[in-house]
Amino acid sequence: MDNRPSERFAVLQLSGCAGCEVALLNAGEWVDERELAYMPLVISAYDVPPVNTLLVSGGVRTDEDLHKLRLAVRRARRVVAVGTCAISGGVASLGNRDEVREIFLAEAERRHVPRLLPRCRPIDTAVEVDCYLPGCPPTPELFMAVLGIATGFQPGRNVCRECGRKKLRDMKPSHLVGFQRGEVLPDICLINQGYLCVGSSVRGGCRALCTRPGHPCVGCRGPSDVFIDKESEAWLDSIKRVFGSLTDIPEEELDAALRSPQLAMFLFQFTDYAQEHGTAEYRPPRPKEKLL
Amino acid sequence: MPTLTFPLSRIEGHAQVVIEVHGGEVVSAHFEAMEIRGFRYFVQGVPAEQMPVIVPRVCGVCSTAHHVASVEALEDAYGVTPPPLANTIRELLMLGQIIQNQATSVFLFTMPDRLGTPSLFQPKEGAASEQDRAVLATRALKVRKAGTDLISLTGGQFIHPVKATVGGVTSGVPSGAAADMRQQIVDALPVACELFDMYWEMSMALRDRIGTWGDDAPAYYITATADTCPNYDGHPGDDVIRVLSPDGEDCDRFAARDFRDVLTFEETDYSYAGRTSYRDEAIRANSLARINMTRSMGTPRAEAYLNRFRDAFGHPAHAILLFDLGRGIELVYALERALEILEQPLDDEETAVPHVPQDGEGYGLVEAPRGPLIHHYRIEDDAIIDAEFIIPTVHNTKAIERALRVAARRYISADRIDMELEHAVGRVVRAFDPCIACATQ
Repeated sequence: MDNRPSERFAVLQLSGCAGCEVALLNAGEWVDERELAYMPLVISAYDVPPVNTLLVSGGVRTDEDLHKLRLAVRRARRVVAVGTCAISGGVASLGNRDEVREIFLAEAERRHVPRLLPRCRPIDTAVEVDCYLPGCPPTPELFMAVLGIATGFQPGRNVCRECGRKKLRDMKPSHLVGFQRGEVLPDICLINQGYLCVGSSVRGGCRALCTRPGHPCVGCRGPSDVFIDKESEAWLDSIKRVFGSLTDIPEEELDAALRSPQLAMFLFQFTDYAQEHGTAEYRPPRPKEKLL
Repeated sequence: MPTLTFPLSRIEGHAQVVIEVHGGEVVSAHFEAMEIRGFRYFVQGVPAEQMPVIVPRVCGVCSTAHHVASVEALEDAYGVTPPPLANTIRELLMLGQIIQNQATSVFLFTMPDRLGTPSLFQPKEGAASEQDRAVLATRALKVRKAGTDLISLTGGQFIHPVKATVGGVTSGVPSGAAADMRQQIVDALPVACELFDMYWEMSMALRDRIGTWGDDAPAYYITATADTCPNYDGHPGDDVIRVLSPDGEDCDRFAARDFRDVLTFEETDYSYAGRTSYRDEAIRANSLARINMTRSMGTPRAEAYLNRFRDAFGHPAHAILLFDLGRGIELVYALERALEILEQPLDDEETAVPHVPQDGEGYGLVEAPRGPLIHHYRIEDDAIIDAEFIIPTVHNTKAIERALRVAARRYISADRIDMELEHAVGRVVRAFDPCIACATQ
């Protein structure tokens, strides 16, 4: 099988939730097109064989994650960081808050298990990454695109473009409503209904699968191309401008809401959340050409 | 003292089994969970209403169960009861999860053990078997996809659902979409039955080859499903966890909020997951518990499989590998039950009731694919100040380790270690279908 590595791919799962792997299994069409050579979730194998593409999901949380990652990338021609955890640490990065780290590490040091690193790190702090596939998790269609099977894949510029809900000029809520209100009008923009939806500034390609059934976008695909190499402040300003034109919600209220943990787990994708040059956690800004 | 370490695959997450041997005697068998992300710590301070979107990320395999348990914990804290249609749609959502999970466990995780291959996706030598396996994989994924699509339809997102909200669900299921889903399940059901029949035969052949179904002693069983049929709608109000004794007697029932009075939790220094016990004994949750603790499956094809199961293995059944057959029966049940529900109107009534957030304490209980799952939150100023996740895999840890000791003793003697042990370790662990991401969070 080594004579046709272009059709072979492997999946390395670091510390995460396996949601990315489940999404890949949902995209079953690759079964006839590609050879899956390594993926511990569904294959019993000890080592990553030589492959064309290595998909890496999960963050670098333990010393064992780091070791496995470094070994695996040597066997691959192309390394793809899949999902929010591999790209920015994802939901596990919430554990990087200082006050959480203290209780967390004190607890963890008691065990005879893989050692926890000081922070949960994106994989490009440790190895070179050729392509980023953001999403929590990426949709099956995105997996098919990254594997080169869905060749005509065309993402919308942002989630709004793919959503199709109508923006109204004359329906201006004066306060945010919580995510848990349960009643959502069909076909009308969630911002008009007072929901904190950030789809206007978030990378398209997911086909707006949350907003269409009525849940506000929490930004799991990260910043759209316009914002990818900027700091999070530019992104937040853009969202505030959209709310300024569609709502009468006071800016202070919006400011406070935008700092919610639910959005924070995806904010880590911005350049200002990267550590400084020279530190072990440093990562370069992500060039948009490498993002799918 | 020699130590044998077995890395595990075809389970969710990172774990290994470590067996210590001294002079041919098995001293211990540890099931070691090797990852942790720290959910119970970093959700402290999170606005309570965001929990149903954050906690599905505990696990991409069991995300639906966490989503619903989280919503139910908040409903308990706020004193709100969702309307009947919302419960029906949540039941569909949970059935989608059962279909997806049991298809994954039966076909992708454990069928390779019966075929003697590392994976359903990897061809073995010989063109014929390669082709056969490709067909198997394609058909298995078709069944699994029915579950995934049911989750997408009723949960709004295909992995981390968003549609259950405090007081109900965000929308019903339009009749056109319900009819399409129904047709997809009608097509998937015979495929599932055919694959499961093959799986049953393969399991009998495996038993003949290795000479055992996994012969650990009887254990206690727990489930949150009803004693009449394996319901997944989690009626708020009469949510209880039941306990069955090793000799088949109903010996306990308790509400989620009383779990500390009944279950004992302990930490170990070799794993990021702890383990629970009942009266100091091992407990088993998951498929075999539900199968042992229901009078009937309530749907025709699943009922026929249950009768066949009871005729062959008795009631209650205790052998380890019977967990796997139980999962196949539940797969058929979930497909049939989803068909029944999809025939009803699902968008003609209110799907949510209003509520007022308030501080306090709430418990959410659902029967997840691996057993009873409890979320417990304490809320102050609309923020989480404490969260507990009571995880089914943790209930099973002690039972897994006990079964591993039995398997190890079977294959380890003073003068040799039978290499079948490695396969046996994999089979025992997979029978419990543990989820490490959940167990450690």
